[in-house]
Amino acid sequence: MNLPSVLETLQDIWSLQRHRKLPVYLFLAIAFNLILAPLVLAATGNSFSRTQAWAVGLLLITTCALGIYLFFVMFIPEKF
Amino acid sequence: MSNSSPSRPLHVPQGPRESRRHTPKTNFKGIYRRALGQSFVKLDPRITVRNPVMFVVWVGTIVTFLVTVNPNLFGDIQADPTEQRVLNGSITVILFFTLLFANFAEAVAEGRGKAQADSLRATRSDTIAHKVLADGTIEEVNSTQLRRGDQVQVLAGSMIPADGEVIQGIGSVDESAITGESAPVLKQPGTDIASSVTGGTKLLSDELLIRVTSDPGQGFIDRMIALVEGAKRTKTPNEIALTVLLAVLTQVFLIVVATVPAIAQFIANFISTLFSQAAANNLQAGASVAVMISLLVALIPTTIGGLLSAIGIAGMDRVAQFNVIATSGRAVEACGDVNTMILDKTGTITFGNRLADEFIPVTDVSSQTLAQVCWLASVFDDTPEGRSIRALAEKLGGAVDLDLATAEGIEFSARTRMSGTNLANGQEIRKGSVEAIKGFVRSRGGQVPDQIDPAYERVSRLGGTPLAVCRDKDIYGIIYLKDIVKPGLRERFDQLRRMGIRTIMLTGDNRITASVIAQEAGVDDFIAEATPEDKISVIRSEQSQGKLVAMTGDGTNDAPALAQANVGVAMNSGTQAAKEAANMVDLDSDPTKLIDLVAIGKQLLITRGALTTFSIANDVAKYFAIIPTIFAAAGIGALNIMGLKSAESAIIAALIYNALVIPALIPLALRGVQFRPVSANQLLQRNILIYGVGGVVAPFIAIKAIDLILPFS
Amino acid sequence: MLQGWIQIAITITLFVAISPLFGGYMARVFQGQRTLLDPVLNPLEGVIFTLSGVRDRPEMNGWQYTRAVLYSNIAACILVGLILFNQALLPFNPTHLNSSAATWDTILHTLVSFVTNTDQQHYSGESTYTYFSQFAGLGLMFFISCATGIAVAIAFIRGLTGRPLGNFYVDLTQAITRILLPMSLVGGVVMLAAGMPETLAGPVVVPTLENPHISQAIALGPVAHFEIIKELGQNGGGFFGVNSAHPFENPNGFTNLLEIVSMVSISAGLIHTYGAMANNPKQAWYIFNMVLIIYIAFVVVAGINEYNGIPGINQLLGSSQPNLEGKEVRFGWAQSALFLTTTTGTMCGAANSAHDSVMPGSLFIALFNMFLQILWGGEGTGTAYLFAYVILAVFATGLMVGRTPEFLGRKIEQREVVLASLLLLLVHPIVILIPGAITLSFPEVAANVTVPGFYNGIFNPGFHGLSEVIYEYTSAAANNGSGLAGLGNSEPAPSALWWNLSCCVVLAIGRYVPIMALLLLADGMSRKQSVPMTSGTLRTDTKLFAGVAAGVILIVGALTFFPVLALGPVAEAFAVL
Repeated sequence: MNLPSVLETLQDIWSLQRHRKLPVYLFLAIAFNLILAPLVLAATGNSFSRTQAWAVGLLLITTCALGIYLFFVMFIPEKF
Repeated sequence: MSNSSPSRPLHVPQGPRESRRHTPKTNFKGIYRRALGQSFVKLDPRITVRNPVMFVVWVGTIVTFLVTVNPNLFGDIQADPTEQRVLNGSITVILFFTLLFANFAEAVAEGRGKAQADSLRATRSDTIAHKVLADGTIEEVNSTQLRRGDQVQVLAGSMIPADGEVIQGIGSVDESAITGESAPVLKQPGTDIASSVTGGTKLLSDELLIRVTSDPGQGFIDRMIALVEGAKRTKTPNEIALTVLLAVLTQVFLIVVATVPAIAQFIANFISTLFSQAAANNLQAGASVAVMISLLVALIPTTIGGLLSAIGIAGMDRVAQFNVIATSGRAVEACGDVNTMILDKTGTITFGNRLADEFIPVTDVSSQTLAQVCWLASVFDDTPEGRSIRALAEKLGGAVDLDLATAEGIEFSARTRMSGTNLANGQEIRKGSVEAIKGFVRSRGGQVPDQIDPAYERVSRLGGTPLAVCRDKDIYGIIYLKDIVKPGLRERFDQLRRMGIRTIMLTGDNRITASVIAQEAGVDDFIAEATPEDKISVIRSEQSQGKLVAMTGDGTNDAPALAQANVGVAMNSGTQAAKEAANMVDLDSDPTKLIDLVAIGKQLLITRGALTTFSIANDVAKYFAIIPTIFAAAGIGALNIMGLKSAESAIIAALIYNALVIPALIPLALRGVQFRPVSANQLLQRNILIYGVGGVVAPFIAIKAIDLILPFS
Repeated sequence: MLQGWIQIAITITLFVAISPLFGGYMARVFQGQRTLLDPVLNPLEGVIFTLSGVRDRPEMNGWQYTRAVLYSNIAACILVGLILFNQALLPFNPTHLNSSAATWDTILHTLVSFVTNTDQQHYSGESTYTYFSQFAGLGLMFFISCATGIAVAIAFIRGLTGRPLGNFYVDLTQAITRILLPMSLVGGVVMLAAGMPETLAGPVVVPTLENPHISQAIALGPVAHFEIIKELGQNGGGFFGVNSAHPFENPNGFTNLLEIVSMVSISAGLIHTYGAMANNPKQAWYIFNMVLIIYIAFVVVAGINEYNGIPGINQLLGSSQPNLEGKEVRFGWAQSALFLTTTTGTMCGAANSAHDSVMPGSLFIALFNMFLQILWGGEGTGTAYLFAYVILAVFATGLMVGRTPEFLGRKIEQREVVLASLLLLLVHPIVILIPGAITLSFPEVAANVTVPGFYNGIFNPGFHGLSEVIYEYTSAAANNGSGLAGLGNSEPAPSALWWNLSCCVVLAIGRYVPIMALLLLADGMSRKQSVPMTSGTLRTDTKLFAGVAAGVILIVGALTFFPVLALGPVAEAFAVL
């Protein structure tokens, strides 16, 4: 795989992002959760299982995402 | 300037409005079934994301579904997993129905709009148009291929393929598909009004050459279709402001609810050491994810969030039912804000047709001579006024044997304010406004007789329109044109005044006539001897004081004023230019409809405000239902003033109420809150009582009732 | 009991009578009309304006005014920061406090807290700051912070009534020279006469009465002049740690009365200033009365709670006694309850009793006061909040009359709704509930002190602990400054760093985001074309509308904080029953 083809692939992914926002957002959320979930696990001690920590991390991200989304609605309501 | 002209065939439908109001046959069958399907289609996140309140519910439903599958997903719940599943499952189902109900409300409103649009669209099924090419040959094309500027030939018995202007030929057109008026309308080129034709109407006789004035899909029927279907609906300013408020409230409750588990955990730690572990577990279960989502959904303004778009669409729909085409929702909303209404006298306040009642001589001429002059002055005037002058003259023996080919008709113009006839022998016979005729006579070196002023004043005082007639430099007399004020207008103007709307009557008549009519009709102010420029300057001066102005118009010279006004309603019988400039077109060409449009605009705003207030007021009861029961272990059970059975029962009852209130209010959202023409304070008092106080009280009763029915222990 | 209620009634009557005079005077000052002090102040201000380069008083728009507020406040922080950090090197340090008396985080918190007119104190004045730090450093902040508030209120009123906002530096200067300084001069002398010390001498060491071999140091200082601007400017930062409960800060019933009246006067007066500037005194009176009624209702609730006392203790005693825990007996239940309601309602934050020891019902009132911020409200900002609430009420209910809602003839549209709801609805949940939830989730961060028998965390567990945490952030967010005890928020507690820093953020957001929103709101309103009133317009100067506004204020205030109040003071109230 040479450099131009890598760049091309990257460009394809980038252009995909323009069209399919939801999957990209989901991917980003799950990726970010890789950082957040261990933090949740650490903060709660041993009371949470790995899955639960992962789920709580994702729930936190969802909540924050909803908050950001609502801020968008507040400031550019005409788009909704 | 439509009124100063005595030569304006205003097309005023007669009879009470209800019987006249015409809706093209709308097929409402199957709307509900289709709406049901649509409510599922609208679950698509790409659609839901446009409604912030419902999108939060949508996300919540997904999360509650996950905790139904695995109640311990977000941490171990110290409760029976089956019970948890039942609770979480019930919450999921109710949330899902909340979404469906909101979607259903919107779908029903859209469906009704669509049905309306379909019936309109039926009139514009593709027809074969005979396009006239540049070299004069005729080509058969599909009507959708016509472009602005094309010329088409229309033969008797065929549909007019597009909106346009008659440039050649005279023919009668059946416009009943659009206006509901069965009488055919005569169309001919040149004249301001009678030259414009609408696509989808049918030519009954003769043959017309038409220049197309709009591209396909751009005609105003197409615009209305787009609007009532909700497809091209952009949010109105008030709707946007309301969306912001709803988003802020949703955001607030999101923060409130998201922080509750931390607080509950803190209290639970305390309770476990002080009281018992069981109580602490109970408290923690009360702050479980599913319960928190229920609390969130109960608190965010789902009622108005679910109905907001339905209210907007229904408002447009009501306007369409009134047979008015609005080109934007903003215009409909602006109707509610109107401060000043500028009304033409002729056609709006009085019946359009003034009839000659009397000829008053002002010099020593016999009544027959006077009648003859009057007859001659009106021989080319085919307006109802002109015809009535001829009829009266003929009755008085004034008919003259004249070869029309030898004479020349002088058209009325707003500038000269007179019309008349030039005879073959060089005689110039004119009739027109008294000032204009005086000027004419003086310019011919004549004298203005003294008796003219008393006669003029007499007619004016009677509220009539005086027209002077002259032959060359001699004024012969005054024609008394009688004006009849439409019945019932006085009450309507009184209502407008109570609503805080000032009415200004514009007329080309002189001051005295104008004041008599103004008094009789009960308008607040009038402007006499108005020129087309006056109309714009009145609008501008009102607007400079921050007022919103509404007006109706039909002539080409009304177009600038229609564009300047905040609400400009053009008559369908009016010219294309007027229709383009206005933001609404009245298919019935009934100028008094402006008053109804104001009521529709106000109703739209009131409905939105009332449901918002109701939605926020409901939160009080929902708080009192949910918080004390889920945190009963913290000792605040006494706040459960409704005496709900248990936390589960309270949550489910509050959510069921929350979901059911949406379909329960759909009829109100579609019909609109009843509007009464009373002062703002009285309206506020009434609506605060119903929707504010009622909004606080009603859910207490409803939630208690649902709680009693629910099988939870 | 009757005596207590009479004391309360007299105090309230006094400020209701005074506030129109204050309001009228302020309206004259800020409209550039002639006032009594012109001959003295005109030349003085001339010099100040010439030196500071604002002689031609350029008009500012919303952003410029906001920037001016920020610049001036930051400048004040830097100046006072220099004093506080170097206090050991500066004069008037009779107790020889060294540079370690105040840690960097305490000083930072003090600066932010004082410049935001909050005066939340995570320290005791007598053992942390020198006389110079107090009267020169914090004293300067007293004047600047409350003059900033007054200037913002005046700019807001100007904007609402369709005038340009004015020049911040001019307004700031005039608020100090024409309002705060003259009143403080008079008030300071009265305070002095009423028995407060005003000295640069160090503490007096005296043998105690009980045991002549043990001596006690009695802290003194230049208290009298500090005290008057503390109350008048609704600053509330005490010279001594125990604030207005200290016998030198509030020696007797008369000073208590004076302190209560002076903390309400300007805020209440500003409503009349609005009436005068909007040329609608009737509307001002309706709004004033609406606030007065809610305020009196709250005073009555707090009074009844304190008078009835703690049920458990009354049972032991076999008689009904008022709750006097943490109260000065010279004030008793009535003046303490009145002071509590007023100081939390006006965002003053001074305290003549321990707020931690009041009945849960009174605690509820105190918290609710700070959530609403309008029961007279902060210096200037309270009045502005009040009208922002009115605008929100107009929008929420105004649609129901079938017109685009308008206030004073100006349409309330998207921009106004965004700004009003941002500052009234959103700022508080964000800066109170989020840091509160974080603190409660990690109580060991907030205080690593182990209370035997309880768990490792905030000193008070359970409902009261929750109230304490929420109170701390609410007080910071509302720029009130009073606090409950029970938190490890003063150095050298290990958790003080967390409290100092988190409160700094809350203080700054709680102050400057609303100020920015208010100024932009006013700026937008001033540029709007005013629509003449008709019978179709929603009138805001009626009894009906005042009632509607009160309903909106109470419901909106309660909705956001219902869960916190239910699990805090309400649960505590049921627990002590």
